[in-house]
Amino acid sequence: MNVALRLVLSLTALLGTVSLYAQDSLALKGTLNDTLVIRNATVTAKSREQKLREGAFAVGALNIRLQASTLQSLTQAIDRSSGIRIREEGGVGSEFDLSINGMSGNSIRYFLDGMPLDAKGTGMTLANLPVNIIERVEIYKGVIPASFGSDALGGAVNIVTNRSRRNYLDFSYGIGSFHTHKADFNAQYTGKKTGLIFKPVISANYSKNDYLMHDVKVRNEEHTAFVIKDLPRFHDDYLSLFGQLEAGVADRSWADAFFVSASVSKVDKDIQTGATQDRVIGMAERHTQSLNVSARYEKVDFLTDGMQFQVSASHTMDHSQTIDTTYRRYYWDGSYIDGSYSEIRSRGKTLRHYRRPLTVVRSNLSYRLAEGHELALNYVFNRSGNRQTDDWDSDFVPTDDVLAKHIAGLSYDQSLLSGRLNNAFFVKDYVNHLKIGQNEIPSTTGANVVQGSDTQNYIGYGLGTRYLFFDPLAVKGSYEHSVRLPIARELLGNGSTVYPNVALKPEISENFNLGLFGTVDLGGGHSIAYEVNGYVRLVDNYIRATVTETESMMQYVNVAAVHIKGVDGEIRYDWAGKLHVAANASYDDSRDMRKYTQSGDLSVTYRNRTPNRPWTYANAEVSYSFYDVGLRGSRLRLSADYQWVHWFYLTWAAFGSASSKSKVPTQHITNASLLYSWHSNRYNVSLECTNLFDALAFDNYMLQKPGRAFFLKFRLFL
Amino acid sequence: MKEMKKMLLILTVAMVSMMTMAVSCEEPEPEPQPEPEVLKDYNFDLFVCAVKHGGMSQNKNGTYVRSVTALTADQPRVEFTGKGVDITQNYTLESITRGKYYYQVPQKATGGFVKFHIERNAAGEETIVEDAEVPFKDNVYSARKYTHAWIGDSTTLVIVGTANKATKVIWSKLNESNLAVQSEGTLDLKLPEGFNAFSTAGLLTYRKSDKKLYYFYLTKREAGQSDAATSVTNIAVINPETMQLESNTAVPSAVMEETAGSAYGELMQSMIMYDEADNMYVAGMITVNGQEMGILRRIPVGSKTFDTSWNGFPNPEGKLLTVQYLGNGKALSYSRDETLGTKIDSKSHFYSIINLANVSRERVKFNGTDLQYCGGRFSQRSVVVNNKAYIGVGGEVEGEAEATYPTIYIYDCKTGVVEKGVELSKGFCFDIIRAMDVK
Repeated sequence: MNVALRLVLSLTALLGTVSLYAQDSLALKGTLNDTLVIRNATVTAKSREQKLREGAFAVGALNIRLQASTLQSLTQAIDRSSGIRIREEGGVGSEFDLSINGMSGNSIRYFLDGMPLDAKGTGMTLANLPVNIIERVEIYKGVIPASFGSDALGGAVNIVTNRSRRNYLDFSYGIGSFHTHKADFNAQYTGKKTGLIFKPVISANYSKNDYLMHDVKVRNEEHTAFVIKDLPRFHDDYLSLFGQLEAGVADRSWADAFFVSASVSKVDKDIQTGATQDRVIGMAERHTQSLNVSARYEKVDFLTDGMQFQVSASHTMDHSQTIDTTYRRYYWDGSYIDGSYSEIRSRGKTLRHYRRPLTVVRSNLSYRLAEGHELALNYVFNRSGNRQTDDWDSDFVPTDDVLAKHIAGLSYDQSLLSGRLNNAFFVKDYVNHLKIGQNEIPSTTGANVVQGSDTQNYIGYGLGTRYLFFDPLAVKGSYEHSVRLPIARELLGNGSTVYPNVALKPEISENFNLGLFGTVDLGGGHSIAYEVNGYVRLVDNYIRATVTETESMMQYVNVAAVHIKGVDGEIRYDWAGKLHVAANASYDDSRDMRKYTQSGDLSVTYRNRTPNRPWTYANAEVSYSFYDVGLRGSRLRLSADYQWVHWFYLTWAAFGSASSKSKVPTQHITNASLLYSWHSNRYNVSLECTNLFDALAFDNYMLQKPGRAFFLKFRLFL
Repeated sequence: MKEMKKMLLILTVAMVSMMTMAVSCEEPEPEPQPEPEVLKDYNFDLFVCAVKHGGMSQNKNGTYVRSVTALTADQPRVEFTGKGVDITQNYTLESITRGKYYYQVPQKATGGFVKFHIERNAAGEETIVEDAEVPFKDNVYSARKYTHAWIGDSTTLVIVGTANKATKVIWSKLNESNLAVQSEGTLDLKLPEGFNAFSTAGLLTYRKSDKKLYYFYLTKREAGQSDAATSVTNIAVINPETMQLESNTAVPSAVMEETAGSAYGELMQSMIMYDEADNMYVAGMITVNGQEMGILRRIPVGSKTFDTSWNGFPNPEGKLLTVQYLGNGKALSYSRDETLGTKIDSKSHFYSIINLANVSRERVKFNGTDLQYCGGRFSQRSVVVNNKAYIGVGGEVEGEAEATYPTIYIYDCKTGVVEKGVELSKGFCFDIIRAMDVK
């Protein structure tokens, strides 16, 4: 037929709408060939991310592949998501905590393809994981499927890497403000004869992080008084290196996938401040090296039809050194006095080694009982050691702590009414074994209370349901009685700015979620998607980070009861893959519900809002893509986003006059970026400006974050 | 004969004069200590903490201060909700005070000393006004880990702390008005064989009668918290002009194993007091049957060592935590009954009046009933001003938490009569009362 075909394939998604917009005639192949020609047809399908959102659980999903060409780090993309807040202390490589629906960072578990991210080494985080290898990020809010075998409480972030079968080579290099350089390389090659698949990944990040600190106190020339100045950071260099080689086979009779991998990572970091910026550090450093070996096996129809089996095993040798061997008191201009106490801990000099071997075994066995009915059994073993030695402090007695967890889960998923109704039920058993050997500063670290071995058992359970009335309206709800065992960082510290608290108790929470969502196809390439989620978290022994007085060290402590209620909503508009507008807002009300103190007194903070955390924040973003700009097949994408965080108090809001209280002011941060891709996305150049208006930005403890910064990135994808 | 009598008289007078002069050279006439501080126009600054008592870095939940004109029962209840100064982020609970000013190494760790006072702003709210802030010169101190004394008619503030893992003792002299560092140095103190650390700060005091600084410090087997039985208390007598050591005496363990506190000086708790004759009293502890028990020792005027035959705190129920001189040979003590709990927040702490003359002790009573036990190992909820002792009692009793309020009781030092004073809003951990000049 002599008729032009126009096909628009619009795969609608919230952030990453994938649209193939064909201007030219295109004959469909396969089932449509020979007999059917379509004129002006629009075929719409849901992306994997959208399907995840429409599952029984509260899930956010981000398509990272489409943003990889502009992103500096994964935290940037996640921070703009609904109900998510990232507390980042400073520049590249700085410590950060992620909050999902009000639950603090360590209530959140991070996974890389289902395995704990820690397995890549304690130095590897969302902030330095190479973004080019990532396909998407799944954010589970509150209730987490049993398949993760996790004791997370507030949620989980699962980073899914590119599982494409085709060969590719992906290289990028970026250069930015504050002497920032980033280079990522990853590739996949399949041997034609052997079928062996090789996946190398190399990543390097470096930054001096010498951004300007505003209004800091330094000594005058005579050293007799303080003066206020704006000065650059001077001891915040960060270097991370990561290399990994994964090799294996796929689509064999005995395995759908079988891979072994080895990875090494190295992170060197200067330490510039304590938990607050008044404590200036000029010499202390932290170095981390990790070596990981792992294997994974996946098989559908394992042993029998309908049975699926996945198993992964990983062992990591992780070695950190914290060098705190200087008695100096630094000021922001880099000058110092020979002082009396070490820089980080304000005590004696230490050159502390932390060896934290980590072994993780994860297995999933699922069986399809009938169409729409699936039973799954999951088991995760996670053992973390903590051997400490000190090369400098001769008084330090080497210690060896062990933290081991066994988590078993059983889940049953059903899909009824032609898929309109999905239900999931699960039960989890947690066994936590702790062996404490350390005895340093016992009254501070709790080592005077907890010594020797201790094993505890906890049960968790939950369910999720989703009913789809029709595309524009669906409802979902979920509930979990969850247990969150303290992680190594909380129990055992981080070796530098976080004190151990070996007496920490697990968090136990009742999590409720109720959500509405839907997608409205307005025709003509216009679509709107929305979601609204309400949540309640009733947490006992809530684990909260505090800054200890004097030393400006951080420590995690239990708060007897915290109730968190909140709502977050997001709306997304997309037009033909060209215009994308999204906005979200979150309200998060966290209250201290301990009525009595340990000594039996009425607690004055009962029903008070938990301090040091933002409770209202919003994001908005807009992007527009121009096609065939200059070069055929090219795309120019302009985007901007805006983040708003309402001010919040650093201490309990109710007490003291408002004028006397320290607070983190309202923050308005605007970012903008430009991406030009050509040759079918083979070549990409992006320019990003973060904090466009050079606004003052802070973390939760008033640490200043970078001002306006530029980042130029080139990416080659073959 | 007359001549001989005259010569004998002259000789006698001369000998008596010489003997008198000799005695005078050995023991200068003691300068009488001034009467207890009399403030004409003063406020009371009340410090409370949320959730836990705040001393010794224990509080991570906030410290709030109200400044009130009186503590009598006719005053409205002292509230902290929406009122008072929140000092949590910037200042420590522990502080040196004099007149209207606070002096400290602040929590905000800017690397220096700060002087401030609390006043009311136009809206009538208490607010902190910083009067001076200076960087450290050469000696560096950590917040709250230092001890102090006033010398030179209180125009000079001497700070003493330890450095290099508590292996040397450093000092600085600051000008009271602008905090300028006048001079600095290191005390000539050495750790004896087998001892590896000094106490974190020790206790420094200035005795006016002999114009000497007395520095009470511990030598310990290792840094940090120590076992009293293995520590040794030492008394260093220092020339305040030169900061040279004049004597250094180890105290026998049977006399005192440790001072009542040694890590934070008297920034919060009062552990040294003087009577009208300038006898010095020092609260300490010794181990009895495996438990650390309070002891109150005296260094008589003219002496530089403890009178080992005198103990002002016999038959202790537990640790002696603070002592304050009330005048007329009486002192207020704050101590603990070990059988009722030894945790910081244990309701085991109580107030007594010690009669120093006959070494008797009696619980402070109101309407014939003992003031209740309260929590707060590191608290100083009592202040003595204008012949009255204002005594704060925590308020809550286990099981009756919602029924009572923290309350001030006012002890008349002359009559011994106790009256009930103002109440504070409940739920807070009541930690300090300070009487501050408002001029």
